[in-house]
Amino acid sequence: MSDLKEEEIKVFTDAVAHYFGQLTREPAAVRGAYLEREGEATPVYDFSGRIMVTGQYRGSVTLSAPRAMIRHLLVALHETDQSEDNLRDTVGELANTLAGNARKYFGENMEISVPVTAAGAIPGSDTGRDRPYVIMVNWKTYNASLVVDIERAS
Amino acid sequence: MKLLIVDDSNVIRQRIARLAADARLPNMDIVGQARNGAEALLMFQREKPDVVTMDLTMPELGGVEATEQMVALKNDVVILVVSALSDKPTALRALKKGAQGFLYKPFTDDQLVTALQEVVRP
Repeated sequence: MSDLKEEEIKVFTDAVAHYFGQLTREPAAVRGAYLEREGEATPVYDFSGRIMVTGQYRGSVTLSAPRAMIRHLLVALHETDQSEDNLRDTVGELANTLAGNARKYFGENMEISVPVTAAGAIPGSDTGRDRPYVIMVNWKTYNASLVVDIERAS
Repeated sequence: MKLLIVDDSNVIRQRIARLAADARLPNMDIVGQARNGAEALLMFQREKPDVVTMDLTMPELGGVEATEQMVALKNDVVILVVSALSDKPTALRALKKGAQGFLYKPFTDDQLVTALQEVVRP
């Protein structure tokens, strides 16, 4: 089970709100954050990006978002190339930014990887814990999920 | 002024390239875009850029190491780190290795243009 405290989860909800607010002047809203229930499927959308966490913490941060949401974000960034590669790249960069921003709170000993991306779910998604935190994000009319599956390394 | 853009994200590279053409950054000529530190060093040796925008978390060779090696090759190169890593020690380490500025992701268009203006100011 992820052993992060509520204030530590808030680091990620704040980061996701800030990301969209900074880039589009329309912050994302957090619709809810919960510990995934046993046997429950993690919400997965069209594209996913994952950052692996090592060092004093271990686990992963995974963002999954629908195609339309990423396309809309690219439009807001004046990006005309909306190829599959760029959509995957964007969701990976978003996950990377959220995890990188979290180091302001967790410190440099939370080491983060380069992003792994996929259309749909990322294969081999089980990082070991039974119940990660799921943060449901809303931006404009779109819903996305941010799964924070981190624990302190012993 | 010759600019090299280094970031493992294609979208970020394209965005910085577009912003480097801003009228507030006259004479900025993009000489290369690299996806990691190793690729960046090859381009750096070939193109000898005056300015580099440098991501930190990249495959093969990270931005702090690439910054250190670029400064060793050309000590007047101006390096602006553009990274999501928001802890203070990482920024200080990059500055210690020779970077002149640090811009946190996510950045607005104006923030990037201003940061580039500041680091290239004579």
